Amino acid sequence: MINLLILLLMSGKNFFVCRYEKMGWNYEGVKPKQGIRINSMNAKRDDDVTKRLQSLGIKLEKIPFLQNGYWIRRSEFSVGATSEYLLGLYSIQKAAAQIPATLFTKLSDKFVLDACAAPGGKTVQLANLMQNMGVIVALDIKRRRLIALSNHLERCRVENTIVYQMDARKASGLRMKFDRILLDVPCSGNFVIDEGWFKKRTLEDVERNAKLQREILMEAAKVLKDDGEIVYATCSLEPEENELNIDWAIKALNLKVKKINCYGEKGLTNISGMQLDNSIEFCRRIWPGQTQGFFICKLVKRACTR
Amino acid sequence: MRFIEDFVSRFQVRISLDKNLVVKKQNRYFLLIEDLKRLISDDFFYAGTYIGKTKKGKFFPGFNLLRMIAKKKASKIVVDKKTEWLFICGRDIFKQGIMQVTGSRRKGDYTLIMNQHGECLGFGKILCHLDGVKDGVVIKNISDVGDFLRREK
Repeated sequence: MINLLILLLMSGKNFFVCRYEKMGWNYEGVKPKQGIRINSMNAKRDDDVTKRLQSLGIKLEKIPFLQNGYWIRRSEFSVGATSEYLLGLYSIQKAAAQIPATLFTKLSDKFVLDACAAPGGKTVQLANLMQNMGVIVALDIKRRRLIALSNHLERCRVENTIVYQMDARKASGLRMKFDRILLDVPCSGNFVIDEGWFKKRTLEDVERNAKLQREILMEAAKVLKDDGEIVYATCSLEPEENELNIDWAIKALNLKVKKINCYGEKGLTNISGMQLDNSIEFCRRIWPGQTQGFFICKLVKRACTR
Repeated sequence: MRFIEDFVSRFQVRISLDKNLVVKKQNRYFLLIEDLKRLISDDFFYAGTYIGKTKKGKFFPGFNLLRMIAKKKASKIVVDKKTEWLFICGRDIFKQGIMQVTGSRRKGDYTLIMNQHGECLGFGKILCHLDGVKDGVVIKNISDVGDFLRREK
């Protein structure tokens, strides 16, 4: 009975909206614009693709903080049903989701792990940034999602990727060490991408996801080379899955937060009176508005000095 | 590997794939780059470039193999914009939609279907000699990139 009461108190729209206010953001209903990313590997120039889409009656707007990203201002039909899409000239990808892959330094010849890869938007983006060179190892746990990932790779002409059906928490079973690791971890999501979010989510869910994310972070730290980079991303607004997890990773996994220069606000260093590591302000928290909600952090592994 | 070469030859060209870089997973075939070859283990799900699959002894090419064939002087036709979309929706091709023919025009041969931007949309089978008719269906759709949408359903 007490558990049920706690559950009721720690869920529902009022509970979460109140939390966001305490974190400095006033709730507002948001309908984010659909985004696309031009696959520069397949399109000779962005202009060629945008002109072709505009000739079909699709109105585009350049996303100011992304190199190859465009918002769909207006389209009479699904942008997933054009020749240009089927030929791999662009991918449908939300604006905020286009940020994480761009935060790695020097990707082209690197050995990269995409630990929670399906449905593959960010894997294709990594392959683009790498110009199909180097190697990407892409993991996902569910076979159905791997089929979507494989179709995405084939459509977008990715050549440098191996896909395994594997739980990211078992990545050390690959017996490989990586220069770069993308952790687009499973998360609680947010109310912008899921209309029924407030009704179905509780703090218990959030904490369960945060635990899973820490397990993935721990495994990633094991398979990361010294001086390697991890980019950690969630589409959750909850601090347990974001700043608190990063604070834990700094202390428990010998990882260090690197300053990033991208769209978003500073990460929160004080959550409900709990003071976190100051470097967490280098993370980026994106409150819903122009894009959906998102959290991004770049971590580096401190090389052993012994 | 022979069946892949046989398939390619139906477009009046040859492609030599490095056997050491082609890997098979159940009935699916993938072409690897050297870096992947060094790292791959047997339990992979997808790797490198998907080149096609076999089913009941028949070879079904992937779209990236068709693109590789298209880079050669293969049999191909260029279609207009309306025909491009109809073809992607799984339709056969009418003579009126063809803008240019390269290579074979013979009945029974395979031909690649290209759009006006030089991109390969799939392939089809020539139903009647392309010089011998003025209208009607002349190319049977065998495979088109609209398959990516149909797979999602």
